[in-house]
Amino acid sequence: MTAGALVISGALAGLGAGVAGATVAARRRVTVAAILVWAACGLEAAAALHVLATRHPIVLHVAELLPLTGIDLVLTPLGAFFVLLVAMVAVPATMHGIGYAPHGLDSRMAASAVPIFVTVLLLVPAAGSVATFMVLWELMALTSLSLVLVDHGRREAARSAGTWYAVITHVGAALILIAFLILAAHAGGQSFAVLRLHARHLAPDVRALAFVLALVGFGSKAGVVPFHVWLPKAHPEAPSPVSALMSGAMVALGVYGIVLVGDVLLGGGPVWWWLIVLALGAASALFGSLHAASSTDLKRLLAYSTTDNVGLALLALGASGLFDATRHPMLAALGLVATLVLLLNHAAFKGALFLSAGSVQTAAGTRDLDQLGGLLRRMPQTGALFLVAAAAICALPPLNGFIGEWLLFQSLLHGADIGSTAGEVAIPLAVAAMALTAGLTVVAFVKAAGIGFLGRPRSGGADAATEVPATMRIGVGLLVGVCVVLGVVPTLVLPAVERAVRTALPGVGPLSLAHGVTLQLAGLRGVLEPAALAGATVIAVASVTGLRRVLARRPVPRVAEAWGCGRQLQTARMQYTATSFAEPVQRVFDDVLRPVQDLDISHVAESRYFVESATFRSVVDDSIERGLYRPVIGVVRRWGRAARRLQPGSVHRYLAYGLGALVLVLLALAVLG
Amino acid sequence: MSWAETFRVVWRARRVTEPLASGDGVPAGPPELVGSLQVRHVDAGSCNGCELEIASAFGPVYDAERFGTRLVASPRHADGVLVTGPVTQNMVVPLVKTVEATPHPRVVIAVGDCARDCGVFRGGYGVVGAVGDVVAVDVSIPGCPPEPTAIIEALRSITRR
Repeated sequence: MTAGALVISGALAGLGAGVAGATVAARRRVTVAAILVWAACGLEAAAALHVLATRHPIVLHVAELLPLTGIDLVLTPLGAFFVLLVAMVAVPATMHGIGYAPHGLDSRMAASAVPIFVTVLLLVPAAGSVATFMVLWELMALTSLSLVLVDHGRREAARSAGTWYAVITHVGAALILIAFLILAAHAGGQSFAVLRLHARHLAPDVRALAFVLALVGFGSKAGVVPFHVWLPKAHPEAPSPVSALMSGAMVALGVYGIVLVGDVLLGGGPVWWWLIVLALGAASALFGSLHAASSTDLKRLLAYSTTDNVGLALLALGASGLFDATRHPMLAALGLVATLVLLLNHAAFKGALFLSAGSVQTAAGTRDLDQLGGLLRRMPQTGALFLVAAAAICALPPLNGFIGEWLLFQSLLHGADIGSTAGEVAIPLAVAAMALTAGLTVVAFVKAAGIGFLGRPRSGGADAATEVPATMRIGVGLLVGVCVVLGVVPTLVLPAVERAVRTALPGVGPLSLAHGVTLQLAGLRGVLEPAALAGATVIAVASVTGLRRVLARRPVPRVAEAWGCGRQLQTARMQYTATSFAEPVQRVFDDVLRPVQDLDISHVAESRYFVESATFRSVVDDSIERGLYRPVIGVVRRWGRAARRLQPGSVHRYLAYGLGALVLVLLALAVLG
Repeated sequence: MSWAETFRVVWRARRVTEPLASGDGVPAGPPELVGSLQVRHVDAGSCNGCELEIASAFGPVYDAERFGTRLVASPRHADGVLVTGPVTQNMVVPLVKTVEATPHPRVVIAVGDCARDCGVFRGGYGVVGAVGDVVAVDVSIPGCPPEPTAIIEALRSITRR
């Protein structure tokens, strides 16, 4: 079987899964569709591995599928990397989806939309022409939109989230289309190979226009500040396996788009392009982590954290472009390696976190951290997996998050003197932004894990929670396993990442990051032994727990109630809540978060010195949404209302408009003609 | 204050702490507590007379810390509980919880007549009983209120210093 046949049969298996989801009986529908999706992922992953092994792209042209242009599939090593990333998230997500199905994924529509969404995600990185890319991109937007709206009948928030997502993603798609059309118009063809060939000879301002349009368009999909507002709305409303796919895979494809246009098609650009990318990345990382630290809804927290992680990836990408523009090919390659590794890591741990958030939601009936608590004892396996994934996202050493941030730090620290003043100012600022982000991420996930899983349950739902079905645990477990493997032996995937990077930056010499189990930067100082680090961690943990056991043998430990100052009553309400845990951060970053706080005090009628009741309300909504989007929406609404006055429903007046317009046109013709 | 001035003050005062009684004998508490005793004080319903005497015992004149005892802020840090007053209804659970929260080996010291047998509050509507009715008492100190020397003597019977 040729490699091209793998791609085609994978796509057919995925579409078959979509059909199965719509036709098979309700009881088995999700399982059958999931098995077919795994087949699709397996076939596409095999094709991707083939491409990465041989370094020869798979080129396919199916003329019959799309009128006029046909479908062009070109799976380059860069695309192959993203195909593997999507497959890595899609298999556990659909596995989790089997257990999640009774909670809103078992309708015909959802059961067939999920496989199609996965198939499209697998094919987007393989698109080889503008028409193919845009068709797949739109299909991706539409299938994910239909999945965000699964709960629209019951929840108003889902409808509102759907509207926000639809508008932002379609404006983004329009900008991407314009960017591609600008390139295609000058190239005289629409396949990416032709675009790439001609893009180098374009005028600088045309290139810049195309890049900025593509950056905004793809940035809106990637959830970059200030186009991130759909993320914290759509992710919480979508069913969790879909959130995992959207956050882990779809958002990564947004960054893929920026790499595709900026590096592959345009072949890099001047310093200021990449300074914009760097600034957007730093802003997203800071804003996202700050909001994650102050969110109390578990999935909203994860959505903001997605903005944070994508920001870090863009930081690495911006640095990479900066180094490329100042002729430092090794550093540029290292930055791009960091970008891809950060995206891969993000897909692994954020997928795991979104899936466990789904497990928590199905078990406890809520995802509000202020209502959760005590879940580690009630759901020990889900809780343990969540803790490992949270440690991974906090970049703790033997896990994958650390490898990604280490690579990013290395590329930034080695870029201190690159010969561009703006760059030399920007890089240290980026390091500072990254350091602050890392700290805020720890706050956010100590809160998520500590408030959600430790302590006592804060609601009846959390108290009654029991462990979720095995499929859901296996789904999360697979991704957590990936986190551990990528953290201990990152050298397994780094050669593949290097080959992917070569698609975008063809002129790079040997990078040789992987020496056995050692990470070594060629030509730069910087060595990491992840396996030794993991070994040291295991030994440290084992010796501390062993020591504790030896010491605890004599005398026998006595289990006593937690000391609460001898209070008669110790209730769950006396614990720290997510809101109170985040309060100090919220207070420090008051100017950025701008929380809305109301304190209503009503006094007893007899005396103002006695309070009858006090109500306190504190809401942290998105300041960018409030400051940037609401005014625009308000203006559009006002225009709409003004336009309504032109439409009073009188046919006579409409006829008069027609006559008036005709007269105007004739007059204009008479004067100008 | 220069050393000569210090000497003059001490000379004029003649005595800066109360004299030591003997610290020999069999310890009244667990042998692990000999030499050092950290105590948490619980007011189970006292008139605050005993509190004044405890404050005085740990003040500069009697200086109970000379003998290896120290007042601490949490039963988790303590080896013993110093209980004053008759146990009132509102303090039964807090007293039991505090004693329960003190790690073993531990001592419970009942300070004053009220803690021993409810004293003048016996039969009061809010009084549940003496400390011994609620938790096991190891050492009790008579007196209404007991003098600081009596308190120190009881503490030294445990630390043996």
